Amino acid sequence: MLRQSLRGIFRPLTALAALFLISLSAGSEAQTAGSPERPSSSPLSSLSGYMDLQFVDPSNADAVIDFRRFVLLFAHRFSDRIRFISELEVEHAIVEGGEEKGELELEQAYLDFLIDRRFNIRAGQLLVPVGIINERHEPPTFYGVQRPFVDTFIIPTTWFDAGAGVFGEFGRGWRYRAYAMAPLNATEFSAGEGLADSAQQGSRAVVRHWAGTGRLEYLGVPRLTLGTSIWRGRTTSGSPTLDPRVTLVEADGRGRVGRLELRGEIAHVFVDQADELNRLRALREGVDPNIASQMLGAYLEVAHPILPFPPPREVVGFVRYEKFDTQFRMPTGYQPIGAFNGTAWIMGVSYFPDPDVVVKVDYTIGGNQSLVVAAPRVFSVGLGWWF
Amino acid sequence: MTRVTIAAGLIFAMATCPFAQERTVTVRITAERFRFTPDEIKIHRGETVEFVLESDDTDHGFRIVGTDVDRVIPKRGRGSITVKFTPDKAGRYAFECSKLCGAGHDFMHGVLVVED
Repeated sequence: MLRQSLRGIFRPLTALAALFLISLSAGSEAQTAGSPERPSSSPLSSLSGYMDLQFVDPSNADAVIDFRRFVLLFAHRFSDRIRFISELEVEHAIVEGGEEKGELELEQAYLDFLIDRRFNIRAGQLLVPVGIINERHEPPTFYGVQRPFVDTFIIPTTWFDAGAGVFGEFGRGWRYRAYAMAPLNATEFSAGEGLADSAQQGSRAVVRHWAGTGRLEYLGVPRLTLGTSIWRGRTTSGSPTLDPRVTLVEADGRGRVGRLELRGEIAHVFVDQADELNRLRALREGVDPNIASQMLGAYLEVAHPILPFPPPREVVGFVRYEKFDTQFRMPTGYQPIGAFNGTAWIMGVSYFPDPDVVVKVDYTIGGNQSLVVAAPRVFSVGLGWWF
Repeated sequence: MTRVTIAAGLIFAMATCPFAQERTVTVRITAERFRFTPDEIKIHRGETVEFVLESDDTDHGFRIVGTDVDRVIPKRGRGSITVKFTPDKAGRYAFECSKLCGAGHDFMHGVLVVED
């Protein structure tokens, strides 16, 4: 058993070490035909950041104003071949311990070893390369005050963890990344919020098994990005005999036709041994968590400028329809709860007084399959900026 | 008369000599989080490439690795910049965003391929 565990841990590490050694010896294709040591005028270290202030007024609860995110990004270039990027986030303005009162999160902190356009190595605290929002979550880059429900419950953004892997471009617009990462924690899966909060976030992450994740993108056509992602790996559940495997497959697209913007995403989660996981957690927690064997979500969004401001100002209207079900398929003997099979129409306006500053106003009409619990309607106002 | 003829001949020769004319290739590039479009450009050795760069969102950088070329591309609606570059030898010249532009900043790469 111990030998198997050690083998499971060391196999990817050995592979990565081998890749690293190959990278050191194969670094000749250089980033350029010129001298790689010539000085550059851009600073070696740089600082950026973004902020996100939200006012949310749901029909079934008190309104809340929340300084949702204060994020600083630090980057440093050791050389033309070795880079460091980090992202440190304060959530909900203060940190008292526990997510309810705020979090201080190290969402990214990794080194890139640049070898060749087709093959590079990355290691550290990484964003999982799944979906549209997870790697592209600065407030001016998406419409709506809150992130899509699909990118909250089905894809648990911001999803990050410790790991290492490779990335690069094949040419003709094809781009990839593939990482070995710490697995999800199955004791944090929930009936209503799916995989949200189940990442170990590189904090003493238990790694009895490694998870694998990858993304393939096509950018070969101007103004169009198509992508597909996968996450697959055994979880950790604190049990010596049960580590259910989770597989997430996803596809997405973003594009523009004239000034019309379109984006869509679909994500499907498979949880193996969900019935055994439910029984294990019911014994431990006293309540059956009712975890599904499959979760499914998708959305489609359309956006278009609606007022003729001179650039760089812009006012964009958008409509998004989402369908998300964290109990799409249940293990034998379990019944789905209708409240977790939700839909949402989100419509609103984003005003950009500057391309890096956005004022957002939107209205969400929620729906679900429950005969008892009605989904709320939510009025939201947000202020986001990037520098 | 002879001097005039020689001078006219020299002027004609200079005007028609292939080495006297530096061919310039203009390439328009749009930068946005987290890509350059196009991100692969091919020219021939001896040609000068004139990059005309504009952003579709925030400020970006345009740095040709291993050279002194490193400029800021102004954010959307703030115009474009022009960068001229004459590679001295054939090869692959990587360019990248040199201004931290978001979580996917390190994905912003491109390559200028200079062929013999």
